[in-house]
Amino acid sequence: MLVFVILYYGVLIAASCAAVYFKQTKAFRLLFSLTLISMVVGIVGGATGLRTIAIAAGILAAAVGVSYAFREFLVQLARPSLAKELRTAPLTAAFGMFVIFVYAVAAIFAPWIAPFGEAEVISSAFAPADDMMLLGADQLGRDMFSRLIYGARNTVGLALAATTLAFLLGAGTGLWAAVRGGRFDVFVGRVVDILMSVPSLIFALLTLSIFGTNLVVLVLVVAVIYAPRVFRLTRAVAGNVVVMDYIEAARLRGEGDWFLIRREILPNTTAPLNAEFGLEFCFVFLLMAGLSFLGLGIQPPTADWGSMVRENATLISFGEITPLIPAAAIALLTVAVNFVVDWMLFRASGLKEH
Amino acid sequence: MGKLLRLIGQRLGLGLLTLLVVSVLIFFAVELLPGDLAEAVLGQAATEETVAAMRAQLGLDRPAPVRYLEWLAGAAVGDFGNSLVTGDRVSEAIGERLLNTLMLATYAALIAVPVSIVLGILVALLRNSLFDRVANVLTLTSISSPEFFLGYILILYLSVKTGWFPAIASQTADMSLGDYLYRTFLPALTLVLVVTAHMMRMTRAAIINLLASPYIEMARLKGVYPLKVIVRHALPNAWAPIINVVALNLAYLITGVVLVEVVFVYPGIGQLLVDAVAKRDFPIVQACCLIFAATFILLNLAADVGSILTNPRLRHPK
Repeated sequence: MLVFVILYYGVLIAASCAAVYFKQTKAFRLLFSLTLISMVVGIVGGATGLRTIAIAAGILAAAVGVSYAFREFLVQLARPSLAKELRTAPLTAAFGMFVIFVYAVAAIFAPWIAPFGEAEVISSAFAPADDMMLLGADQLGRDMFSRLIYGARNTVGLALAATTLAFLLGAGTGLWAAVRGGRFDVFVGRVVDILMSVPSLIFALLTLSIFGTNLVVLVLVVAVIYAPRVFRLTRAVAGNVVVMDYIEAARLRGEGDWFLIRREILPNTTAPLNAEFGLEFCFVFLLMAGLSFLGLGIQPPTADWGSMVRENATLISFGEITPLIPAAAIALLTVAVNFVVDWMLFRASGLKEH
Repeated sequence: MGKLLRLIGQRLGLGLLTLLVVSVLIFFAVELLPGDLAEAVLGQAATEETVAAMRAQLGLDRPAPVRYLEWLAGAAVGDFGNSLVTGDRVSEAIGERLLNTLMLATYAALIAVPVSIVLGILVALLRNSLFDRVANVLTLTSISSPEFFLGYILILYLSVKTGWFPAIASQTADMSLGDYLYRTFLPALTLVLVVTAHMMRMTRAAIINLLASPYIEMARLKGVYPLKVIVRHALPNAWAPIINVVALNLAYLITGVVLVEVVFVYPGIGQLLVDAVAKRDFPIVQACCLIFAATFILLNLAADVGSILTNPRLRHPK
């Protein structure tokens, strides 16, 4: 313990001195304030407090390193025009893309990565972790790690399906309403106002209580709940495009609604719509996780992160953190998507030129 | 003044109309059940006679619009009929729980609103500093986490590992206010964390938006201190967006409260709703949904009226 503490302060002070020597004022300020904070934490929390700080700093450093490397990797793979954009991407966006990449790999190759099946009972209930089971067993003796991997496929896949459906529905109606205008536009606007005046979780609970909880109903209900939000944004963005002269010109040429949407409006609205897709995905994902947590979403024995938290929640009262891992997986993906969306919005707003 | 009252009256009328349409939606959603209510509740095994008896008991033989009007008239005076599962009056099941939920939401709001407005202004002042970046990442994480994640983390670290607060927000009849605040601290804190993050980000955005306007630049060029620029020049114009932000996030509390109540086993209306959905106890589901939707609409209305009151430009629409 003593060796760790001496090493800890030694490294911090040496790094601070090095920062001063190389005239890195920002790094020095950061390092030295960390040293001062560590002294307080060390007195209050002892060596465990310092260890926590060291682990947190280590995780942060690892995340920064991984994002840096992943960004370089993407830059080298991408086309020249895209590579230039990627090079200027902030590290948070690179981190987000890396996390999404990892989740995608886990979801696509789930049966090969997971050591056991998602519904396979292999041990006693709540068995502790060992060489065979990385995270121990759940309440029925199934491997937590395997279920976590399969959960990536089920939870994320369903949320993606619901978001896509909501998007097709909302953006389709939004674009159409913008092109058609008139009574149709006003009518759809009113319907959307009504649908949006009911909180989404409450709406979902009401409809699920009526139609029961099967997957098709779940996806449809969530899509209907989120389509109005997509409609609002699409209608607003497309509304600005529709009044342009080139739309007028296309109309005078005698082009139909479908051509206008596909060839004139869509190309000019892709950037905000892409960002919106990311944001909507986060909302849908959180709503579905919440429903699953309440026992009204994806039904067992299908592995799903929301219901995994609920089923294993009793472990928390014994001070175990395993039930929190699926919840953390949900949070991590949402944060990652948000990071990427932030970057996309920043890029779309054209701020980089100034 | 008369014009202002009329404008507010218009908004109120619109809100009432929305509520009416939502109540139609909630009532007739149940009519969409395959078969009808009696068949759905009794299930496949029920005989013809029991289904018929159930129908007569629920009054399903009369046309739906008539039943809707009766339901609405009852709901207006707080009578939502009887539970399908226990047969008790729905209003009795809801009464005390509604109070509990309101207390929890108020508790969370009283902490969250001042904290998030002060922090939001602070972050807007120190924008692009290290503090701002850290706050940005932290609030983003808090928004991105499901409520049950935050709740269980708090249980793990503030209850199980340290024993500072109780993990289950149990209620007793003769509890003092201090005792209540102590026992419900963790659920309230969970809500505070989620709502504060939202409110902080929106307050920051509202203030930064204002700071870009020419009159702020003028004040700065005059040599006014940064804090004074914010408090004297920016804040009066920022009240409208801030009031909007507060009302919208209080509306967000409504959804958050359902999950938090389940995590902490708090006897509120959210938990009642979840239980009723699982048991398919439709009168309770309808009543809870109507209450939640009404609160939601009311808060959105408050946001609307608040921004009209604080922004003279909205009072004279062109």
